[in-house]
Amino acid sequence: MKRYELKNSQPPAVRKRKSKEKLRLSDWYLYLLLAIMYLPILIVILYSFNASKTSVIWGGFTLDWYGELFHDRSLLESLKNSVILALLSSSVAGIVGTLGAVGMARVQFRSKGMLEYLVLVPIMIPEIILGMVFMAFFSLLGLPFGMTTLVLGHSAFCVPYVYMQVKARLVGIDKSYAEAARDLGARERQVFFDITLPLIAPAILSGMLLSFAMSLDDVVISIFVAGARVSTLPVKIYTQLKTGVTPEINALCTLMLIVTVVLVLISQRLQRKKM
Amino acid sequence: MGRKSNNWLLIAPMYIFTLLFVAGPLIYMLVLSFLQKADVWGVEFVFTLKNYLKIGKQVYLNTFWESIKLAFATTALTLLIGYPFGYFMAKLPEKRKTLFMLLIVIPFWTNALMRMYGWIILFRSNGLIEQGLMALGLIDDSLKMLYNYKAVLAGMVYALLPFMILSVYSSAEKMDWTLVEAAKDLGAKSWQAFVTITLKLTLPGILSGVILVFIPSMGLFFIADILGGGKIMLVGNLIQNQLMSTRDWPFAAALAVILMLFTTLFIWGYKKITHSDELEGLL
Amino acid sequence: MKKRVLALMLAFMLAIPMLSSCGSKQEELNIYTWEDYVPDSVVEAFEKETGIKVNYTNFQTNEEMLSVLSNAKGGDYDIILASDYIINIAIQEGLVGKLDKSQIPNFENIDPLYQGFFYDEANEYTVPYAPGIPLLVYDPAKVDVEITGYESLWDPSLEDSVALMDTERVVMGMALKILGKSFNTENLEDIQAAGDLLMKLAPNVRVLSNDQTQDYLLSGDVSAAFLFTSQVVLALQGNPNLEVVYPKEGLGFGCDAMFVPVNAPNASNAHKFLNYILQGEVGAEISTQVWYLCANKAAYEYLPADFQDSLIISADSVPEGEFIQNIGTAATELHNEIYTEFKANLD
Repeated sequence: MKRYELKNSQPPAVRKRKSKEKLRLSDWYLYLLLAIMYLPILIVILYSFNASKTSVIWGGFTLDWYGELFHDRSLLESLKNSVILALLSSSVAGIVGTLGAVGMARVQFRSKGMLEYLVLVPIMIPEIILGMVFMAFFSLLGLPFGMTTLVLGHSAFCVPYVYMQVKARLVGIDKSYAEAARDLGARERQVFFDITLPLIAPAILSGMLLSFAMSLDDVVISIFVAGARVSTLPVKIYTQLKTGVTPEINALCTLMLIVTVVLVLISQRLQRKKM
Repeated sequence: MGRKSNNWLLIAPMYIFTLLFVAGPLIYMLVLSFLQKADVWGVEFVFTLKNYLKIGKQVYLNTFWESIKLAFATTALTLLIGYPFGYFMAKLPEKRKTLFMLLIVIPFWTNALMRMYGWIILFRSNGLIEQGLMALGLIDDSLKMLYNYKAVLAGMVYALLPFMILSVYSSAEKMDWTLVEAAKDLGAKSWQAFVTITLKLTLPGILSGVILVFIPSMGLFFIADILGGGKIMLVGNLIQNQLMSTRDWPFAAALAVILMLFTTLFIWGYKKITHSDELEGLL
Repeated sequence: MKKRVLALMLAFMLAIPMLSSCGSKQEELNIYTWEDYVPDSVVEAFEKETGIKVNYTNFQTNEEMLSVLSNAKGGDYDIILASDYIINIAIQEGLVGKLDKSQIPNFENIDPLYQGFFYDEANEYTVPYAPGIPLLVYDPAKVDVEITGYESLWDPSLEDSVALMDTERVVMGMALKILGKSFNTENLEDIQAAGDLLMKLAPNVRVLSNDQTQDYLLSGDVSAAFLFTSQVVLALQGNPNLEVVYPKEGLGFGCDAMFVPVNAPNASNAHKFLNYILQGEVGAEISTQVWYLCANKAAYEYLPADFQDSLIISADSVPEGEFIQNIGTAATELHNEIYTEFKANLD
């Protein structure tokens, strides 16, 4: 439907030449801006192969930093923690956010607006405040600091991402599918699992992937709620950035970039299926 | 009847989670903002309005004002740079659209600190750019490009640009281009059609982009720290400072409450103007 | 297609329990300090010798450490390495346990010069790890004036070329010393006078940073800086032509020390660790890697010759230096206000 409209709205053939020229100028703009966006990232990648330890001088090509990376026990440990944490919190967000969005789309109640606002608050206020109150609040509840508190803290800012994605997707779904299934005698649970869930699955997954990426990137909240035994990768990167960047960190960021690209690719494929 | 209770069951996990782990901490923050700082460490459970009165002092009002100014400048620049990008992107053929989406999202998902670090390598004294210019004989002394207000502004714009682009793009992409054609057929010039139709139809995207850029730019303390050489004090830095060096949690909480009120006011205004619940292109 | 998506989601969730395998019941030691502050080689050698697994976790500021420790009610961690003034608070808050010196025979290796400080006058709680004196460092190739003390930084010729630590009490301390006052004065008029003086420094300040401040000096971004001891050593390593100045108005002094929290889960391992690092050879290895003054007498003979001058200072300089200590609320708030205003005046 949508695509059909879009085709129709292309300018008529008479104006084609003119608009083509215009497009060329706009192309330049797009490519220039993209180049600027990628410049610092390319620099970081480039310097991960720099043999010289100080970052200004180019001292020749080397893979040493990648080698050192794999021998750094505490770095690998924190990488493992980060991956587990991101998996857990994006899963919690996936379940809580999806159920919430589906439920919210079906009922009206007085505190609905308030609830929705609260769900979104964690991505709207400065992280440092969130980290601080989480720490104070968790210790008020007597929760031991560690993976549990990390997952809770991260889930709080992951839920909004899944919730928003699923909510937006639900708006686009034709309600008559579910109605039809009900008329044909399907139970509520069947309707959910057989009709609704498959339809919103791409939205759930892309919300979860975004959550995953955000969790994998979080520094501030992790610092406050991590506790004694668990350290996460971004915290390591951040503290090392402060104590002086080593090419090892550049190498690590390059590897992380690859992970990011893969995640983005997966999510993009899912988005496309939405159409 | 059963259906209704089922729906409540669906909402329950989010409801409970949100009350417990979002509303709970926020209430705690609110309470904290009315308490008194203990002499050396921690808080005393004594009610006081002192923290809010303190924000009224010239120095701290100034900090808010400076943050707002920087946030406005950031927002204006991202809009100026991001709007054409989102607009042109929406006009691309379907296949290239997906590719561009991908290209925008990747830096957006990459560690922000790392990207800032890339800029530092380029722009610092004796960095790549200065070395290049010196080799060409164009300069012979350092340009001192980093550690000032301009550098912070540029860093903010760079970090927040994707939000604006995605917002504008998502509303431009949904736009009905036939309306523009119709206007032109009726004799409107291109710019007239743009102002009366395109701009109006993409307004929700613009507004949502404005919010998504404006709000974080008041709190992004690490950019001010790294690119500003620690010299720019924003509300975010002030809060950080209260927590980490003055040890004044109640004052930090009061600052955060005000910042949150400000944020909420902004979003409320957006909803009033657009009559919409959603922020375009947040995801 | 839909099924594949669901399968992917399922796989996603199933992957979790596999990754989160739990460790066994091994002897552990939880160290909590700044990143890279205890050399890896020392930690690894200790693990090898004792079979104790060391968890090395980091904070970025003393205040963060104290928040976390007081939330943990003095538990969770076994060894904490932090700065003097925060240890003072931690002890007052009852978060620090007394050391059992019978478990630390090497305690006597500590140079008495670095003992009996304000936070631990009777030497019951702490082992000094990294004492230091912040100093002025400048590049004579770029500075035309003679730098003799804090006051020299105010010279108009240094416009936009000074780096300072981003710590309000340290920055204010320079102005206080110029006026001949103590770092720790609670006299609001004196503090205000120092604040007025500080505002005049604003045009000269290019960078405020606590981390890697020497890099700005080495890269040429600034030509003079006020640095911590370790940064002074690193600056000189990067550029031996830099000049170091002991400010004429008076020295500051600081000491990072280790303590065992009152409810440390592995207190006996903590004592083992303290005893381990107080050995002469280990002490020397630490000093040559963290570049602070060496507080371990037994380590002096193991220090490489080129380090001896910079890491062991004469006994006269230490008592001369003044600690920055905690002061009352009114004075703290005034300091904070002045510093905020100072930052608003920068740039």
